[in-house]
Amino acid sequence: MQKFMLIIKEDLAELQQVSDGERQRRVRIMTAWVESLQESVNFLGGNPLQVTGRTVLKDRVISDGPFVEAKEGISGYILVDAENIEQAAAIAQGCPFVQEGGMAIEVRPIFTIVQTERITNNAP
Amino acid sequence: MLSALLRFSSDIDLESAEDIAQDTFSAALVSWKKDGLPVNPEAWLFKVSRNRALNKIKETKRFSNKMTEVGVSPEDVVVHDTPLDDQQLILLFACAHPDLAPKVQVVITLKYVVNLKVEAIARILGLTIDGIDKMLLRARQKIRDERILFHEPSAAALKSRIGSVHKILYLIFNEGYKSSWGKELIREELCEEALIMTRALCKSVIGNHESKALYALMLFNAARLKARFGYNGELLDLEEQDRTLWDRDLIQLAMANLTAARGSEISSYYCEAAIAGLHCAAERFGTTDWNTIIRIYKQLLGIQTNPFVELNYAIALYYGGYKREALGILHELEKQAFLGQYYLLHASLGRIYAAEGNKDLAGRYFRNTLELTNAPDEIAFVQRLINKME
Repeated sequence: MQKFMLIIKEDLAELQQVSDGERQRRVRIMTAWVESLQESVNFLGGNPLQVTGRTVLKDRVISDGPFVEAKEGISGYILVDAENIEQAAAIAQGCPFVQEGGMAIEVRPIFTIVQTERITNNAP
Repeated sequence: MLSALLRFSSDIDLESAEDIAQDTFSAALVSWKKDGLPVNPEAWLFKVSRNRALNKIKETKRFSNKMTEVGVSPEDVVVHDTPLDDQQLILLFACAHPDLAPKVQVVITLKYVVNLKVEAIARILGLTIDGIDKMLLRARQKIRDERILFHEPSAAALKSRIGSVHKILYLIFNEGYKSSWGKELIREELCEEALIMTRALCKSVIGNHESKALYALMLFNAARLKARFGYNGELLDLEEQDRTLWDRDLIQLAMANLTAARGSEISSYYCEAAIAGLHCAAERFGTTDWNTIIRIYKQLLGIQTNPFVELNYAIALYYGGYKREALGILHELEKQAFLGQYYLLHASLGRIYAAEGNKDLAGRYFRNTLELTNAPDEIAFVQRLINKME
């Protein structure tokens, strides 16, 4: 099993205009999906992100940076365990909003250092 | 061969039978091209399939894999290479293709190993028949394109899939366990199927400690199957269940497997089984060994950091007497975007506040719960809790 981050991308401008009730409805649908993830692969964590923030560069700090205009801005992230990236992608594709068409998910393996076998002096 | 298949199995439709026949022949071609023709191809096929049929009959009488009776299967040709001699297990491992999403793996297992009809699968999983058909089509294409089991039927390849296989069995058992009283007898049969396959896996050379832990977990849960529903078909929780209805033999078998499952590494199935075992060992809800359960949850959290496990940990903390810590965790979880909308979190908070005598807060959380779930069993259950309180 490997760990993956599912980077959720949506139209942030649209998301900004959505009513609180609608926002809550969407989170509930995601929660139901996340619950099914927990059953099948292990949901490690995740959060939606607010549609506000800063972009930081060497010489300036941009408020409401370019990410708001982007059609595919990052609206949240989910961390899961999966067998491999194909499986992680197959799972991500099952997200109801991806199926609906309004959401894209970028699936990235989390970088881990492969452990070499440790040699211990005392057997357990 | 096609008509033989159809004659022997009413569950296989024409398309599947055609596929099986075609797969068998093309797989035979693959193997015979690689290893050369056996001296007498027909006799080879027949001998191999007859031996496996005999083994099958010896092993499990209940399980009916009609394809084996006919002696036709794509897996026949790899029999001499694979350490597994259980036909059903080989099929199960084939369905555990690691690139497929777990839900798809479950669907194809239910179709090709458990032999359920598409309508039954759709009903159980709450999906449309169309959706299931699409999954089956895509999965079959993938398996046909890759043919991994045909080219590398070694123990190593099988071992690499065992995690997926465990997950499939776990999910099938879970589906069987979530049932509506009296309505879906098929669900108890699903539990049985999962148990049978897991048992076979444990007894095979490819089963490992984790397999035994999974088997123990299923057995502990299965022991409580008869006690889950009350006189009027209402869902009963651990506190309310009549423990005299728990199956002592299954519990004993589960304990034996749990002990056998101890190894150098502790799997999450082992932790879950141990917790289930502690519940089964308690004479009454009140005498449950919460402190040990709490310790195991801590271990489980070490293996998988996970807000759903944290929720269960917090509940255990509450019943173990660590009320402040429990509520602290639960209220923190409430702030998380996804968990905050999770109906069980609100149900748990409702129950705790009801037990503490705080009717206002309890009522609020119960009402939240009703808003967050559509499942009629759950709604009825929460409604009962509300009534009990007032």
